[in-house]
Amino acid sequence: MSDTFFNVNRVESRVGAIALVTVDNGEDHTKPTTLGRSAFASAVAMIEQLETGDWAAMVLTGKPFVFCVGADIDEFTRVRSAADALDGSRAGHGLFGRIRALPFPTVAAINGACLGGGLELALHCDTRTIASSVRHLGFPEVFLSIVPAWGGTQLAPQLAGPEAAARLIVTNPLRQNRLLAAPETCELGFADLVLEPVEFVDESLQYAVDLVEAGGVERPAADWSELETVLRRTRSRVDDAVHGATRAPYVALELIAGAKEWSLEEGYAAEEAAMAELLPSPQAQASAYAFTVVERRTRKATGVPDVAPRRIEKVGIVGAGLMATQLATLILRRLEVPVVLRDLEQERVDAALEAIRDEVLSRKPFLATLVSGGRGWDGFAGCDLVLEAVFEELAVKHEVAAAVREVAPGAILATNTSSLSVEAMGADVGLHFFNPVAVLPLVEVVRTPQTTDEQLATAWDVVKKLRKRGVLVHDAPAFVVNRLLTRMTTVLMDALEHGNTVEETDEAILSLGLPMAPSVLLQMVGPRVANHVLETLHAAYPERFPLSATLARYAEGRDEIVVRGDARRTVEQIREDALEAVADEVRHLLDERVVEAAADVDACLILGAGYPFFLGGITKHLDQAGISERLFGCTLAEYGKIPA
Amino acid sequence: MVAAAMRELREVLYVDGVRTAFGRAGPKGRFWRTRADDMAVKAVRELLRRNPEIPAERIGDVVLAATAQVGDQGLTLGRDVALLAGLPQTVPGFAVDRMCAGALTAVTAAAGEIALGAVDVALAGGVEHMGHHPMGEDVDFNPRFVSERLIDESAAVMGRTAENLHDRFPAITRERADEFALASQQKAAAAWRNGVMRETVVPMAVFSDDGWKVADRDEFLRPDSTLEGLAALEPAFRAGGRVTAGNSAGLTDGATAALLVSEQAAQELGVTPKLRLLGYAYTGVEPHLMGYGPVPATRRVLEQAGVTLDQVDVFELNEPFAVQVLTWCDELGVAADDPRLNPYGGAIACGHPLGATGIRLVAQLAYGLRERGGRYGLTALCVGMGMGCAVLWESTA
Repeated sequence: MSDTFFNVNRVESRVGAIALVTVDNGEDHTKPTTLGRSAFASAVAMIEQLETGDWAAMVLTGKPFVFCVGADIDEFTRVRSAADALDGSRAGHGLFGRIRALPFPTVAAINGACLGGGLELALHCDTRTIASSVRHLGFPEVFLSIVPAWGGTQLAPQLAGPEAAARLIVTNPLRQNRLLAAPETCELGFADLVLEPVEFVDESLQYAVDLVEAGGVERPAADWSELETVLRRTRSRVDDAVHGATRAPYVALELIAGAKEWSLEEGYAAEEAAMAELLPSPQAQASAYAFTVVERRTRKATGVPDVAPRRIEKVGIVGAGLMATQLATLILRRLEVPVVLRDLEQERVDAALEAIRDEVLSRKPFLATLVSGGRGWDGFAGCDLVLEAVFEELAVKHEVAAAVREVAPGAILATNTSSLSVEAMGADVGLHFFNPVAVLPLVEVVRTPQTTDEQLATAWDVVKKLRKRGVLVHDAPAFVVNRLLTRMTTVLMDALEHGNTVEETDEAILSLGLPMAPSVLLQMVGPRVANHVLETLHAAYPERFPLSATLARYAEGRDEIVVRGDARRTVEQIREDALEAVADEVRHLLDERVVEAAADVDACLILGAGYPFFLGGITKHLDQAGISERLFGCTLAEYGKIPA
Repeated sequence: MVAAAMRELREVLYVDGVRTAFGRAGPKGRFWRTRADDMAVKAVRELLRRNPEIPAERIGDVVLAATAQVGDQGLTLGRDVALLAGLPQTVPGFAVDRMCAGALTAVTAAAGEIALGAVDVALAGGVEHMGHHPMGEDVDFNPRFVSERLIDESAAVMGRTAENLHDRFPAITRERADEFALASQQKAAAAWRNGVMRETVVPMAVFSDDGWKVADRDEFLRPDSTLEGLAALEPAFRAGGRVTAGNSAGLTDGATAALLVSEQAAQELGVTPKLRLLGYAYTGVEPHLMGYGPVPATRRVLEQAGVTLDQVDVFELNEPFAVQVLTWCDELGVAADDPRLNPYGGAIACGHPLGATGIRLVAQLAYGLRERGGRYGLTALCVGMGMGCAVLWESTA
């Protein structure tokens, strides 16, 4: 990461000299400007220049397309002590407080991405202009299990009231890190004026001149009358999302509430204390790890052969069920090539075609003309890729493979199977998507010993073009996500069959901070599918995956627990057993080389099962909690690196 | 009866023109990290802002000049810039090239559309980012030019054509060229203190390695130039030659834009034009003496309009090389220090962004005629490969 620097340039105007300050790191927009250690040294020099000059106003902006994306996340993991965390927060307060104290009007000209510490920098200016093209403004801190601690939790509510601040700081980060666009930023009160991007800096300078002539800006005090309601509502949303498993959102709310009474200095001190608690916490450290795994590791196509992918100009989908319909829609929309569906029942094909056309018609009507289907294989000739999503039975899959090889001998045959062997069914490669396809970004890209370089490179390329996130795995029963979730389910079923209640097993898992109760997830996946996956895994690993009479009943539609004995466990014990089982299964995944490293397991769970950043997927948590050490004598992070 | 047979040609009026500040081409120049089309966009938007009586949707065509029509000057600039500037999608545009006469060619092409009744309002402009597009970029010179002696090979290098002028007109010495250059710098320095630049130059925020800055002054200004300093400069194009960096225009980045209307549209929209287009002439001369071009072009346009040289109150001539202007002076009998000639200095002081320059001349001419209460004005430039351009204007005041 390049050093960040603040440049001060002098612009003469009719009201005197304006300091035009640029925060920049000398790179293009693909490497956004951060506020790491190097930035602070440069910022001090900048502020001294501002404090001593004959300035009439300041306009602070970023390099093209980026304002500033805040603290350097790589520095988080280096902060181990509470004292270091407190110092980091205090340094920001010292610096930004001096900007706020400048004796002339200051304007933050938000020209592009404005996140975290970058937004706090902007909030310390008197006013803010924002380019209408800005789409990324927000505080991702709570998403990373910390809080904005360079004044954000104090200035945001004082500027726009507690409701807007709670949304910006607490609820948006918990909604998949939702960010604000320019118009919304202005409506909520965090920016004063939306300007067209084309002459943004010129017009922001003009705005500063006008501001000087108007004698600065006067704002009404924020409306705190709804504070209690806001706190109550937000807390309940936070509970739903994290079940108390990470402190950050709760602390952030306390800081927002505190801003009502505190002086800014008191608020700064509260932020510093909060950061001292949060930054060294396992949740924050796990989040920084998860960020690296998801944003860096999975974007590198490690293990994908460096050969040219095949050009995909026509795709066949076998099956027209719910999953097939979602896949066909995604492929049609992203690849914009003809898609042909085939199912045994014309009714199902017709329903799928209607759903797909409905979905694409509003945006690109021509796409609706590219999709067709029927009961036969007529349209499949000339397909470059055929993706099967039929009933999960090896014999059925075999029939499909044989038919596809005949009608489209040149096609790459991919399967969306969730547990069966890709190799055994005669497919070239697995592309395992997760339901709902529109929400979950993961695709397990499954290679078999027979998968050619071109097939694998093509599969990876398709995943990229579908804007999904691939994780490369080797062909093994149920791959990664389903294998781990099923292993966890065996523990829960065992508890149920020994006297625990569904509420207790749900609570055991929810208390980890997972977004969805296992019983709800089971209903979403469908007990039949879940039981089928279990059967597959049982066939492969009978000791670790015992069949469950209860799950079998569920699969038959009978909501009935088959009690086998009385050995009721505490919720804590269930959670512990579930985690140990998962840890053990991760170890087997690593032993079998299904994935290359524990980090891939975490990527799969975060992207495919919505596991939270603050658990670091799961292996970071297993390592932090000492479970890995206890079971294997080392962390899973290290385990992954030791050749079997 | 066919309607066309009854139609009358319409008068073409110049409303207003603006330019960006002109910067030094190259990595050290102000505009190095600014796109050429963005510079043109800035000029266009400022022009429309200054002339709110003209609704953007009334613009019938956008004619933009650039010599290098690739990269950030490619993509049919007139259309490209119209869209980038936020003009309605119904406004079309195109690109022209006549090298140094690009912007004046844009003006006369747009004028033709107005005169014929094809459009009522037109926007003409030019841009040249010589930092991004060095002269001769991607040019594949046909070898026949040299092998068949169609032109003298020196014709391809503008500085050498300037030396050729010194050779051809020995009365124009290095000393006279340096004196002319000094006067240009001094007149430009004075002009930046009065209103002409405020009226014709729009400041533009530009990104640089040192952050955002505002380009609000021409980078080639040398108000402290002295004759001694100029005399000490080494010849740039020929050992023992007379053309130096001091008595020629530097390589420049800049953009210009101007609004033209028909007389009827001016009345309808309630705009107050500054100039009436009286006539224009393009001529060809020997390519290796391209700087001679404005001489026959001036003679022809005056003859067309029935105006004599004495009647002209302001001459805005481009100054790629001092010798080039001095050639025009000597041939037409105008003194080099005639107060009518380049009253605000010229390209030696402000730079010459090839395809953009013409409109700077017109904008300064309009200001000059108003300031002096003059009636006729002439803008002229020489053009590479041996051409001259002259456009004659009349004040509407």
